[in-house]
Amino acid sequence: MSERPAAGNIYDLGYRRYEGIRLGRRHAVLTVYIHSLRAAFGLGRPATAKIVPFGLAILALIPATIQLGIAAVASDVVELYSHSGYYSYVQWIIALFVAAVAPELVGRDQRSRVLTLYFSRSLLRVDYALAKVAALTSALFVLTLLPQLVLFAGRAFAQDSLTGYIRDNWKDLPPILASGLLICLFFGAIALAIASQSKRRAFATGGVLAYFAISFAMAGILLATLDNDLGGWALLLSPFHIAQGFTLWMFNTEPSRSESSSTYDLYRAGIALWVYGAAAGGYLFAALGILYRRYQGIAT
Amino acid sequence: MPMLETRGLTKRYPGVTALDALDLSLEPGIIGLVGANGAGKSTLIKILLGLLAPTEGSGTLLGFDIGHQGPEVRHFVGYMPEHDCLPPDMSATDFVGHMAQVSGLPRTAARERTAETLRHVGLFEERYREIKGYSTGMKQRVKLAQALVHDPRLMLLDEPTNGLDPAGRDEMLDLVRRTGTEFGIAILMSSHLLGEIERVCDHLVVIEGGRLVRSGPIGEFTARTGTLLVEVDGDSAALAARLQGDGLRVAEEGRALLIAFDDDRAYDLVRDGVAALGLGLVRIEQRRQQLEDIFREPAGV
Repeated sequence: MSERPAAGNIYDLGYRRYEGIRLGRRHAVLTVYIHSLRAAFGLGRPATAKIVPFGLAILALIPATIQLGIAAVASDVVELYSHSGYYSYVQWIIALFVAAVAPELVGRDQRSRVLTLYFSRSLLRVDYALAKVAALTSALFVLTLLPQLVLFAGRAFAQDSLTGYIRDNWKDLPPILASGLLICLFFGAIALAIASQSKRRAFATGGVLAYFAISFAMAGILLATLDNDLGGWALLLSPFHIAQGFTLWMFNTEPSRSESSSTYDLYRAGIALWVYGAAAGGYLFAALGILYRRYQGIAT
Repeated sequence: MPMLETRGLTKRYPGVTALDALDLSLEPGIIGLVGANGAGKSTLIKILLGLLAPTEGSGTLLGFDIGHQGPEVRHFVGYMPEHDCLPPDMSATDFVGHMAQVSGLPRTAARERTAETLRHVGLFEERYREIKGYSTGMKQRVKLAQALVHDPRLMLLDEPTNGLDPAGRDEMLDLVRRTGTEFGIAILMSSHLLGEIERVCDHLVVIEGGRLVRSGPIGEFTARTGTLLVEVDGDSAALAARLQGDGLRVAEEGRALLIAFDDDRAYDLVRDGVAALGLGLVRIEQRRQQLEDIFREPAGV
């Protein structure tokens, strides 16, 4: 059965069996992960596919870069952006990024029906979904952890003593990493859960943006109108507010009146900050559940 | 152990029974799966791959249980779906290479195998262009390449000639045939066109309405009631009389004799008769009964 062609054209090497190593599911997941991570930034795609992700990544870096620039020219007194408040400035950029990229990661495969080919290999459906979540989460590091590290550097350079700053502030690093990771996972999973419902790009992008915007606006309105304890709990409808809440919680910082509007909302709501952390866990769990169900049920 | 075995395989959708208690046992080879549209061919292939769960019944593919060992089965199987399944904005090289890696090949091996496989299916310079610019024939080749790139033991091809013009159809059938015979990869190929199956396959499975109609070597379908056409130089009536005396059924058709035969004994009798009567044998050929003829008879007999 495995006989090769006996004789033939000398230019034809004939078919050679593959005798090499065959890697398993882990390799398949890793392949989809890397492929998706590249796709998130339009790598391996035409130049036009790179404009939006790279543009948004640069925008998310601007506040941190400003701080770095100030450090280069000015004294140590100017402190524009804090680590704990940074995401309240760039949350819309993060939302735009996931709204643009999530449909790219999960919609294209449905549109072209290449999913059938993935699922006819040793990759499981849940593997595929998790690889996509991991890819979008990693892509978001560029919009979250990278600016935070630039900010850290900016603040450090503004001090007289660089090593002194690091010695005094190294405790900021664990919450920077933890909150950055959770922000990425949180926004990534929610966006993928919504975007995976439609193979039409416009619907998916519109759906993700509409969800973040409407929930944000509704939370603000409810907080203002329901002038009692209940109004404060309305913030748990809004991923933006939740993200801001658990970030402050991780930095062990209380919301103040002075910072951005969503931080002020948290101040007015007066809910214990750990509640936002718990809510984030709940949202993440629900989003992954929706994503799981979507891919278990999807027809191929 | 057979390459493929199913026992009572059933798939019911609300209102429709796509597969109805299908029992199959197949050895490696090039197997044709024939049936009208909606006969259950695609459903069967998807169940074998573990893409669909059967309502009832069980089966094994390459010795693996299709219900519980889906990932293991799929490691050694290549699948070419009937529908479009290619990303428009990737090149064939990038795409097939990616799929090779998803199938478990390390990066370098994937690249080598991709080049080799695309060469085999006949994609050359075009392989660096985006797939959206490809013709239907080229797309079908890419689909075949991604099913072959990881050197599977079995390929499941669902209507591989779908949408092709006659020339493209011929090329694709030739490619399938060569893949099966020269590479020693078992193939299960579905088609609703008997002519295609007849050209390519050596075993035939006929299903209709989700039920097995017949399964057997292709020769069994065509040769069992064959006709031998004999043309001689000389007194053909004498030969006819002699052969009838030997117990064969003989009819005249112009200058030639048509002889119904069940086995190779007919050849010997013709040879002996021609020699004994001192005739010149101009032509002797088997008139194959076309598969279409079989299906003109009521199915299932």
